[in-house]
Amino acid sequence: MKFTVVKNIQKNSSMSLILRGFLLFILLYLISDVLVLKSGFGITFEAVNTTLKGNEELYIDAMNEASFLEFWHTQIFFIMMILLTLSSIFIRVANRSRAILTNALMLSAITSLISLPLTFYLSNFFTYIYVIAYFFWHAIALYMILYALWKLNATSV
Amino acid sequence: MQQAYKLSIFYYILFSLLLILSAVMLFEHKIGFSYNSVLDYYIGNEDKFIPAQSAAGILKIVLPHIFVFGLFAMVLLHFLVFTDLKSRRVFLILIYVTFITALLDIFTPFMIISGWSFFAYIKILSFFTFLSLTLFTLWLLFRKIR
Repeated sequence: MKFTVVKNIQKNSSMSLILRGFLLFILLYLISDVLVLKSGFGITFEAVNTTLKGNEELYIDAMNEASFLEFWHTQIFFIMMILLTLSSIFIRVANRSRAILTNALMLSAITSLISLPLTFYLSNFFTYIYVIAYFFWHAIALYMILYALWKLNATSV
Repeated sequence: MQQAYKLSIFYYILFSLLLILSAVMLFEHKIGFSYNSVLDYYIGNEDKFIPAQSAAGILKIVLPHIFVFGLFAMVLLHFLVFTDLKSRRVFLILIYVTFITALLDIFTPFMIISGWSFFAYIKILSFFTFLSLTLFTLWLLFRKIR
């Protein structure tokens, strides 16, 4: 987290390069996350419901509780670490709207994570909230990555 | 500390609470919080049709947790420099005990399957001590940034 105390990060070419490399990896992670989720857990309302609750007509079993809790636990950790580092970089390079965007990013990510057990234990209704919040935080994260890359690139050699 | 960074830390606290909740639910569902349930999970129970865990199977679970516990504890504890924890002694004890309980929580399953049943108690104790210390650190952080 040295970059949080470097005075003019855009003019520090080595730190700027490191952060651009890191942002590229976060971008790749987010894209891969969507692709992996699409092929496994599902990213549509129907697919997520089928994975969690099963489908008798298609002979698909419901996800068992242990697998669900492991999936949820892993998701929380990865999202937490990625968003902490991404928001720290974004806050460092952005001048305006950083609090609004950070709040929107974090709240939507937390909403999507809380919706998962609510879908599993309570009602299918929360699937809608999960899917919408999931895409919302991915979209904001994508914007933050591209904006930070642009800001770091604009003023570095 | 910048106001915007306080925001990041605040959300880190919220995510940590969610992580703790999911960890407790997972532990309770897969293993259980009693001495016997911990033994059943690791060394198996024929009457309950619970298969014993192998060292390789435990290692598969332990491997990602070594990295995750280390990273999580490091990130959380390094925020302590922003808190009002004036006593360097308490600060050091907190760091040592957090890492030691994390290590015990990760490696006690190997002792249990090696026949040291007593380590089932250590497993439960280290799990809850690690979570309690994490909650205490989160509370210190929250007090500072509110």
